Amino acid sequence: MTTTLTPPPRGASKRAPSRPPVSARGSAARGRPGDGRFVAACLLPALALFALFMIWPTVSVFRMSLYSWSGFSAQMRFVGLDNFTKLVDDEQFLRAFQNTVALLVVVTVVTMGMGLFLAAVMTRQKLRGHTLYRFVLYIPNVLSVVVIAAIFSAVYDQENGLLNGTLRLLSLDGLQQVWLGDQKLVLYSVAIAMLWQSLGYYMVIYMSSMASIPEELYEASALDGASAGRQFFAVTLPLIWQNLRTTLTFFILSAVNLSFVLVRAMTGGGPDGASEVLLSYMYKQAYTNSAYGYGMAIGVVIFAFSFLVSLLVSRATRREPLQF
Amino acid sequence: MFRKPIVLAVAAATALSLLTGCSGGDDNADGKKSLKVAAFEGGYGRDMYLQVIEAYKAKHPDVDVQLQLSKTLEDEISPNMKAGKFPDVVVLPQGRKAALAETLVKDKALEDLTGVLDMTVPGEQVTVRSKLADGIVGNLSTNPYNDDKTYLMPMYYAPTGLVYNKGLFAQKGWQVPTTWDDMFKLGDAAKAEGIALFTYPTAGYLDSFFFALLADVGGEQFYKDVMTYSEGVWKTAQGRQVLEITARLLSYAAKTTVGYANEQDFTKNQQSLLDNKTLFMPNGTWVVGEMKDAPRATGFEWAMAPLPAVNAGGKRYLTTIVESAWVPSGAQNKDAAKDFVAYLYSDEAAGIFAKANAIQPIKGIASTLPAEIAPFYQLYEDPSISALVGGFGSTAPVEGVNIKGTLFDTANSIISGDKTVDQWQTALNDASEKLRQAGK
Repeated sequence: MTTTLTPPPRGASKRAPSRPPVSARGSAARGRPGDGRFVAACLLPALALFALFMIWPTVSVFRMSLYSWSGFSAQMRFVGLDNFTKLVDDEQFLRAFQNTVALLVVVTVVTMGMGLFLAAVMTRQKLRGHTLYRFVLYIPNVLSVVVIAAIFSAVYDQENGLLNGTLRLLSLDGLQQVWLGDQKLVLYSVAIAMLWQSLGYYMVIYMSSMASIPEELYEASALDGASAGRQFFAVTLPLIWQNLRTTLTFFILSAVNLSFVLVRAMTGGGPDGASEVLLSYMYKQAYTNSAYGYGMAIGVVIFAFSFLVSLLVSRATRREPLQF
Repeated sequence: MFRKPIVLAVAAATALSLLTGCSGGDDNADGKKSLKVAAFEGGYGRDMYLQVIEAYKAKHPDVDVQLQLSKTLEDEISPNMKAGKFPDVVVLPQGRKAALAETLVKDKALEDLTGVLDMTVPGEQVTVRSKLADGIVGNLSTNPYNDDKTYLMPMYYAPTGLVYNKGLFAQKGWQVPTTWDDMFKLGDAAKAEGIALFTYPTAGYLDSFFFALLADVGGEQFYKDVMTYSEGVWKTAQGRQVLEITARLLSYAAKTTVGYANEQDFTKNQQSLLDNKTLFMPNGTWVVGEMKDAPRATGFEWAMAPLPAVNAGGKRYLTTIVESAWVPSGAQNKDAAKDFVAYLYSDEAAGIFAKANAIQPIKGIASTLPAEIAPFYQLYEDPSISALVGGFGSTAPVEGVNIKGTLFDTANSIISGDKTVDQWQTALNDASEKLRQAGK
C-alpha cells in the first residue's frame, strides 16, 4: 500500500502542530475498496487475544465478586453486594487499605520529588561522572524482587545489618531499630525499599525529557537573572509537565503491584498484619482463606481505587500543554 | 491485493489455533489406563517419588503413571483443576499458603477414601487399616467433617515440639523442664547468662505449640472443642490459661524474634539456637535438614522435648504433623487412584520413603528409622506422652476470618506490647464464634 502523504518541512513541526494536508488525509482514510476489511482481518487475532486475556478476566473479577465461592467447586452462591458490606466491617481490610494509601502517598511524593531533583541536577549541573551515577541509580530497577528483598534483609538486619551497623559506628546506638519487627516502622521500611527500586527508572525518564529542552531557553532566563531554582520551576517543570503527568499515573498503578510483591517477599504482611497491603490481603483471602469471591471483591476495590486515583491525579494535574 | 476469503480464513485459523493451543487429550492411544499423580516436592526430595512410581509401574504394566512433581504444586495444578481437569492422586502437606487441600475440604470436593482402609495392600496379604498405626486415622486431620469417613490418607508423620541443643544442657548441667514452673525458673537462670528461653522461626510455627498446649491444659476433649469452635470455648478458664501461659513464655522470648519472624529471615531465629543464644523453639524434624549447613556451637546436638506439663506428672502431647494423600472428586480414574494409594502403604514403598526420611505411620516402622531422626520419633515411646493429630475443623469459608492468623500471629503483637491478652482472647472468641456459625 502506498499513500500520498509527504512529511511536512522540518522547521514547521517545531512550532505548529503538524497536520497533513486535508486532501492527503482524505485519500488515506478512504483507501481502496476492501482495505477496511483487510485491516479488520489483521486486527482480529489481536482483538480476540485482548478480549480473551484482558477484557474477559476483568469482567469475571466483577462478576465473581458478587458470589460466595471457594474457587474450585461448582457451587457458586450469588450473594449480591454482601462481600462489599463485609469489607466495610473487616478491620484487617481497612488496615491494608490504610497501608496501601500511605505507601502510595509517601512513596509517590518522595520518588517523584527525588527523581525530579536528581534528574535536574544531573542534566543541568553537568556533574563529573554523571553517567556513573545514572547507572548506579538505575541498577535496582533491573533487579528481581527476590534479590531486592534479600538485599534489604541484609540492610535492615537488627543485629549486624548495614543500617544498624552504621548507626553503631556513628555512636548513634539510641537510633537503632528493629526495622522489620516494629509495627510502627515496618511500613516505612517497605516504602524505602520501593523508593530504592523505582527511583532510578523515573530519574532516567525525566532526564531524557529534560535533555530535549532547548538550551537557549535556559540561556535567555539566565540573562534575565533567573537562579537555578527559578529556572527549574519556571522553565524545566512546565516543559516536562506532560511527561510528569504520564509517569505519575503510571507510577501509582505500578506502586500498587510493587508493594504487593515486596511485602510478600520481605514481611509476608507481618508482624501481625502491620505491613499488609490490599493485594496481599486479597491473596490471603482468595487462596489461604478459600474465600475467592471475597478476594475478588477486594480486587474490585483495588481496581476502582487505582482507577479513581489515576483519574483524580490526571484531572488535578491538567495544564495547557506548553511547546518549545 | 489479497483475496478476502483467504485473508479471513487465515485470520480465523490464527485465532482458533491460539485458543486451542492450550488443550490436550487425556486418553492414551495404546489403551493403557492413565493415572495422574501430583506430588509436592518438599524437604524429602524428588527421588523417592520417582523410585516409588518405577516400582509401581513394574508391578502394573497396564497403568501409565504420569507424575507431576513441583515445589509450587498448587500453582501448577490449580488452573487445570479450575478448568475441570483434576489429577487422580495428590500428595501435599496441609497448612500451606495456597491451602489447596483445605479449600477442597471446605468445598466437599474430595473422594471418600474410607474404602481404601479395607483394601488389601497390593502385593501383600494385609489390609491398609491393619498396617496403619493406632489412632492415626479417625481424627480431624483425616476425617475433616468429624464423622467416620476418611477423606485424607495419612502419608508421612513427624513429631513437632520444643527443639533444643542437648549439648548446651549437658554443658550447663540444666535439666529439660517437665513443668511450666520449672520452665520459667530455667528462663530466669538462662537470662542471667544472657541466653533467651524461647524463640520461634515465624509465628506460624506456633501451631505445634498451641495444639499441644491446649490438650495439656484442658485434655483431649477441650482440644477438640477448640478445634470444632465450641461456643464460648475461648472464654473458659482453660482458654484463658492457655493464653496466659503463652504470654508469660513470650515475655522470655529472644528480643530478635519478631524482627526475624518473616519468610526472608526466619532461619536467623533458628540460627540463634545453633549459636546457643536461645534454648527452645517450636519446630519439627525437618529443621535438621534445613539447617544442616549452618555453623553451630561446639557440642551442638539436636533434640526435641514435648511441652512442659501444666501440673507435675500431667499428660503431655506431641503435636504430630501428618501429610496426606487424597483423591479429588473430579478425578477421572478413581479406582486406579485408590489402588495406587493402597500401594503407597506397601513395605516396598514405605522402605523407599523411609530412606528419604519420609516416615509413614505404619506399625513397626520405628525399627527402620535413619539414625539422625530416630531420637525424635522415640519420644512416642514414653507412656506419658501422646501423639496429637489434627487441626482446626473445616467450615464453609468465612470472609475475613482466619483463626490461625488470630491465634498465631498475635504472638508478634504480644511480644512487642501492641496487643494485650484480653484483646487476644476477645479476637479469638469472635473468630471462633463466626466459624462455629458457618459450620452449623
